[in-house]
Amino acid sequence: MEDGVTATQVVFWILAVVMLISAIGVVTAGNIVYAALFFIASLAGVAGIYLILTVEFIALVQLLIYGSAVVILILFALMLTRARERPQALFGRSRPLGIAAALGLLAALIGGIVATTWTTPESSSAIEPVGLQAIGDAIFTLWIVPFIIVGVLLSIALDGAIMLASPDEDDN
Amino acid sequence: MPALEHILVVNAVLFAIGAMGVLTRRNAVLILLSVELMLNAVSLNMVAFAVYGHVDFGNITGIVFAFFIIVIAAAEVALALGIVVRTFRNRATANVDEVNLLKW
Repeated sequence: MEDGVTATQVVFWILAVVMLISAIGVVTAGNIVYAALFFIASLAGVAGIYLILTVEFIALVQLLIYGSAVVILILFALMLTRARERPQALFGRSRPLGIAAALGLLAALIGGIVATTWTTPESSSAIEPVGLQAIGDAIFTLWIVPFIIVGVLLSIALDGAIMLASPDEDDN
Repeated sequence: MPALEHILVVNAVLFAIGAMGVLTRRNAVLILLSVELMLNAVSLNMVAFAVYGHVDFGNITGIVFAFFIIVIAAAEVALALGIVVRTFRNRATANVDEVNLLKW
């Protein structure tokens, strides 16, 4: 960046650090409820980065669907499936192997990013914000058929989830 | 605006953290949380590419994809949690390594 460190970049790095620390909390917390709370913080960080990228529509969708609906579902499932009688080991036996595999994946991804030459605009003035109208135009003209299919998929999946979770008549 | 490479590196770290959670956790709900972290990293990547490229390439498909990813993730979470609750009722556990009925 030729114009030095801007305020936007400072905010981006603060959000990124908060998001990544919360994500580490999600995968390492010893209490599953703490893990869910860390997950909310991580989602809020992602929504903030969406705001920095000037896509406030996706940030709102993120907060409304992920930050409220999905988190509430997950908290309910955590409460419903807690085995209270014995303390549970939260990590499997293959934990060092899993950590090593994740670090290998990280090294491969970062190696690929660094090795690629990105043809991006260098100055921030070359990046235009994407307006809400452009997103609406794209969803409701070019992507209207996938949009309808996604709506049908969502309603079928929610019906299926209710069927899966509801008890059978001959169960008890 | 932050550089595209920086956003990509942050997303790669987030994706790897999610992968670590998937590979190390036992509880099915916590594995699902980690999968959600990985999905977030991917959709953030798509939005970054769309925002940085829409002047040159003239479309914002990445943003629409991020929207679809979020909606499909909601459907997936609902279904997966239904399965977890069902499994817990039948087997009294939510740990994936104790659900081995189909394991040969």
